Amino acid sequence: MNETKTAFKRMKDLPSTHLLGTGTPMCAGCGGLQAIHEIYDILGEKTVFVNAAGCMTLLSVYPFTPFRGSWLYTSMGSAPAGAQGVRDALDILIQKKRIDSRENLNVVVLTGDGAANGIGMSATSGAIERDLDFIYICYDNEGYGNTGQQYSSATPHAARTATSKGPRGFPGYKKDLFSIWASHKPTYVATVVGAEPVDLARKVEKSKKMKGPRMLIALSPCPTGWDFNPMEAVEIGKLAVRTGVWPLKEYADGKVVHTKIPGRRPPVEEYLKLQGRYAHLFRPDRNETLLREIQARVDAYWDGVE
Amino acid sequence: MKTASRILGTALFLEGFEVQDAPRYGAERRGAPIFAYVRASREPINERGIIRQPHLIIVADETLVPVPAAGVLSGITKITTLLVHSFESPETWQERLNTPARILVLPAADTVEEREDIPFVGTACAGAAARLVGEISREFLIEAIHHELAHLSPDIVQKNTEKAMEAYDLMASHEGYIKEDGDFSGGAYEKPDWVDLPFEEARRSAPAIHAAATSVEVKTGLWRTMRPVIDFEHCNRCWWVCSTFCPDSAIELGEDGFPEIDYDHCKGCMICVAQCPAHAIEAVAEHKPKAHAAEGVES
Ligand SMILES: Cc1ncc(C[n+]2csc(CCOP(=O)(O)OP(=O)(O)O)c2C)c(N)n1
Ligand code: SF4
Ligand SMILES: [Mg+2]
Repeated sequence: MNETKTAFKRMKDLPSTHLLGTGTPMCAGCGGLQAIHEIYDILGEKTVFVNAAGCMTLLSVYPFTPFRGSWLYTSMGSAPAGAQGVRDALDILIQKKRIDSRENLNVVVLTGDGAANGIGMSATSGAIERDLDFIYICYDNEGYGNTGQQYSSATPHAARTATSKGPRGFPGYKKDLFSIWASHKPTYVATVVGAEPVDLARKVEKSKKMKGPRMLIALSPCPTGWDFNPMEAVEIGKLAVRTGVWPLKEYADGKVVHTKIPGRRPPVEEYLKLQGRYAHLFRPDRNETLLREIQARVDAYWDGVE
Repeated sequence: MKTASRILGTALFLEGFEVQDAPRYGAERRGAPIFAYVRASREPINERGIIRQPHLIIVADETLVPVPAAGVLSGITKITTLLVHSFESPETWQERLNTPARILVLPAADTVEEREDIPFVGTACAGAAARLVGEISREFLIEAIHHELAHLSPDIVQKNTEKAMEAYDLMASHEGYIKEDGDFSGGAYEKPDWVDLPFEEARRSAPAIHAAATSVEVKTGLWRTMRPVIDFEHCNRCWWVCSTFCPDSAIELGEDGFPEIDYDHCKGCMICVAQCPAHAIEAVAEHKPKAHAAEGVES
């Protein structure tokens, strides 16, 4: 990443007070909330959120909100369409001089992985095609968290969910949302995780200065849905990066750059074994076939990275 | 508590009762208060909805008692038995609450320093309730536990069964406190005293919040069972670690460069305890005086 112009060189440079209000209804140890609080600090309060049904919908329930600006709730499939309306309204108001251009807002879509990879995909594709000027934040807890962690198209292979409880867990494979976005040739796409806050801060800082469709996909360790001790949320996020499960990367100007290439990757099972959703891979017997398959897929990914 | 209600419900069902059991959640996520209801009768049950005048109220988390929003004492009358899972004595609770209800305590183990025993509180409550009802045999209670926890590993089921039976035995002298009484016919229904809101035009009735970060009014600190306490002797003042990782924005840079924890809102996830490079943050059980000392409050 271009290191020269960032205000965030190390953790010490991160904000010491926070914009996101306390008192939200999210679970203790929610990795999604962690990412949003880190992102919001850098996006700043001149942000309007357009949300689709999911856990984070509960952030703003009348009369309580942790935000310092507006929030629009849409149906699960249509947040990018809602963002189009808000963007257009702001543009028209500014053009007609009914509001000052200094009152302009960042229009930000906030949805889970279920909406982003599934039902919201066609609205998203349309918005990118229309070159909508917005940032999409997808907090990826790899399932339908709000309704009890049923599988979504972002659920990883072999994970147990409420709808895949068999001995081999979820039979499908995680959809590659990053590449789907990148194939639309938008302005910017990045993966982040709250456990790597400097990398996250730089990406938010960078994308904030751009125009057009921008996406931040935040891996969101979810103690409730992934079944782990809330205390471990950051450790799990760090392990996702170190083991190579969650590549930190960005797309801009037609190129994909990895922003943090793990040196010697510990075995993926270091990451898996902390999570109850993978317990069936270890108990009562180790499922070597599945463990090897998961490892092989991660290795194959990194073999393809120069 | 949802599982506890299901265990009690299933046990009553096995004993030949008609049963309803149902959980009630708010919109909040894990950690927020949850209620579960069980209604049982030898006759068909026509009543529906929440139980407005319970014979038995079980409070698994005593910190919820003083929280008005949790409303654990609502509907309490002289026919009610209140069973609190608590470190305090029934006399202390009687004095605190001054209620016509009969108060019993299911003693909380003082050795619960870790969270490990907390998951068994629910089954212990179910075991205690089964004995208070007095109509549930040991065998059917165990069968109900095995039925409801079938998805868990045998050793976890075993541990749950032990905890439930311990509580069942503890309540022996109060066996049969909870009695079935007269049927609730439609005629006896009292309309709850709610406030009827007039239908207003959308412009007036549509919710709009014209203030920033109003969520601070919600004291999520009440969710905590364990409290992170910073040992300032060992704190390196690298506030950027705990303050950034705290998902709830509940740690900020305070005076003299030390991090400051907002106990009104800290939900007790303990990420800070796990991530502090100097190991200067300790997890202390909420009821311990040490936890209160951190806030400068007399325990
Ligand atoms: C069209 C539609 N279908 C189903 C639902 C019910 N629903 C509410 S939240 C949710 C899960 C969304 O999953 P995701 O987008 O990953 O967000 P998360 O809950 O994980 O935060 C579902 C299915 C809905 N609100 N709208
Ligand atoms: S279910 Fe998971 S994503 Fe949803 S609020 Fe809880 S921890 Fe966060
Ligand atoms: Mg999700």
